[in-house]
Parts: sequence; structure tokens; C-alpha cells
Amino acid sequence: MSEHGNRPQGPAPFSPEDMARRRRRSVALALVLGGLVIFFFVVTLVKTGPAIMNRPL
Amino acid sequence: MSAAFETRSEAAMTASTGEARDFFALLKPRVMSLVVVTALTGMATAPGTVHPVLAAAALLAIAVGAGASGCLNMWYDADIDALMSRTAKRPIPSGRILPSEALAFGLTLSVGSVLVLGLVANALAAAMLAFTIFFYAVVYSMWLKRWTPQNIVIGGAAGAFPPMIGEAVVTGHFGWHSLVLFAIIFLWTPPHFWALALVKSGDYARAGIPMMPNVAGPAATRRQIVLYSLIMAPVAVLPALMGFGGALYLAVSVTTGLAMIGLSLRVWRRSEGQPAVKAAYSLFGFSILYLFLLFAVLLVENGLGLMWALPVVIG
Repeated sequence: MSEHGNRPQGPAPFSPEDMARRRRRSVALALVLGGLVIFFFVVTLVKTGPAIMNRPL
Repeated sequence: MSAAFETRSEAAMTASTGEARDFFALLKPRVMSLVVVTALTGMATAPGTVHPVLAAAALLAIAVGAGASGCLNMWYDADIDALMSRTAKRPIPSGRILPSEALAFGLTLSVGSVLVLGLVANALAAAMLAFTIFFYAVVYSMWLKRWTPQNIVIGGAAGAFPPMIGEAVVTGHFGWHSLVLFAIIFLWTPPHFWALALVKSGDYARAGIPMMPNVAGPAATRRQIVLYSLIMAPVAVLPALMGFGGALYLAVSVTTGLAMIGLSLRVWRRSEGQPAVKAAYSLFGFSILYLFLLFAVLLVENGLGLMWALPVVIG
């Protein structure tokens, strides 16, 4: 094994700027997921209508 | 070497540093906006009503489905996109998004949008959206685009399906209204794309895409642009004659249709040098405005109840 054998291969590690970009991407994904929760909630209310309250508890 | 360094290196091989806007760009937002307008018009002109919240949810699903097909198209075409000036800055060829990320993104959105449309609307609308995504991503992108100069003619059907999906959302079936809207977009596609292809034929030749100007030559392409415009303009008047377009639509479709024919004839006459480039760009630019205008007027007349109806001649 060469003297560089222990170095990781492949692309260079993320820079602080790259990490900030990935963080912004994660925040955007979280917002989309939150939006989907609201979306499905509202659609369920509309599809089910007033009958949504008419169920055994 | 730290463990964190190794983890980041491994992560860099499977995930890019692309931002949310890069993923949004994968959805071809401009195409998506046209899909939203045409699908909404399909809903508005359909004989029936749908709850506004469900209509908005269905429209979102259709838009995301269209975006997903655009994303899968960009994933498959990344090799040729890198060779063309118009597409070289797209997220995959520019290295901002990895191909594997785009594929996963496109497939996830495809499945998700079809399932959501099935839940909020009906099975026919969902099936039609699934077929549209398949038609654009597989039939057009993977098969027709690199094989035949009729690529955008046949592939244009994918862009013409949204009004039919819109009508299916409202009525649960396909009717004459959305079939006419399908025909308008289908006939509009060749003059629109070939105007651009005349100017960008060098790009397409470099990428090995058999666009009409590269295969049949610019003169034959110009003749076909005129031919399609001559067929398209009268078809675009049909909504007024069938009663789902009013007096305003009749006026707009006739005047802008004549303008499309006029601009096509100018492309046909001016075949050399800068005037030819200018004529092609004029037709390309106006064709976008033309389609938006037709559908926007139908939308205003039907959706907002501002129809000044004409006697029904056909249908």
C-alpha cells in the first residue's frame, strides 16, 4: 500500500459554503413535507365533508 | 483522517450540493406554467363543476406530474444537453445535481402526483396523467427524440394531454371540448418548435438530434411550418363555433391566428441571413403568446362567467 493508502478516495469534502447550501436544501424539503401534511389534511376535510365528525369515538 | 471527513466524502458521491432552486429548475417551470394554464382551461370548459379546493389540489398534482416528466427528460438527455448552448446550463450538465438524484426526484414525483390525482379526482384522470408522464419521458425522450424528425410532432401529444386530464378531473370522462383543446396544442407544437430548430440547427446537429431542419432541410421545414399554421389557425377557432368560446375568444383566435399565419409566411419568405433568424425568433416568441392568449381567454370566459356566447354552429 502506498503512503497515501489511508486517504479517502473520490470527491473532495464539502466546503462550509457547500454545507450551507445543503442545509438550505434540507430546510426547503422540510417546508415541502410540512406543506404536504397541510395539503392532505385539507383535502381529506373537503373530500369527507361534514361526515368527518360523524364517526364513533 | 477523521471519520467526519470520510462520511462527507462518501456523501459527496451520492448527493450533490444542489439547492432547492436547482431541483425546481429540473421541473421545467416554464413548461409547467403552460400545463397549469391548459389543464385549468380543460377544467373550466368541461361541462360540470368540481369543488375549488379539489380543483386546486388536482391542478397541483397535474403540474407536479408534468414537472416530473420534465425532470426525467433532463435526466435522460443530460448527455446531449451538455452539447447544446440552450441546455448546457441545466442542473445536471452543469454538475449542480447528480443524475441519480434527478432520477430519484423524477420517479418519486411521478408516482406521488399520479397517486394524489387518483385520490383527489378519479382513476381516469390519474391514469391519463401517468400515460402523459410515460409518453413524454419514455416515448418522446427515450425513443422518438433521437430517432425521427417527427419527434416533436408525435411527442407534442404529451404537451397536449393536460386539457384532457383537466376535463377528466371534472367529468370523469373525455369530451369534445378537451379533444379540440388537445388538437390546438398538438397542431401548435410543430410551428413553435421548428421555428426554434431553424435557428438552433447547429446545436441539434452537434448533439445528433434529427430535428426537421437537419434531416429534411430548412426549406422543407419552412413549408411545413406554414402548412401546420394554416391547419392550426382554423382549428383554434372551433371553441367559439362549438359554444365553449365566446365573442372575445372568436375575435382573439381569428386575429392571433392570422398573425401566426403571417409570421409563418415571413419565416417561409425570409430564408437567408439575419432576417431569417429574426423571422424565426418572432414566430417562436409569438407562438408562446398565442397559445397563452387562447387558453387565457377561454379561461376568463368560462371560469369567471364572462362569456358573451355566440350561437353554437358545431356540436
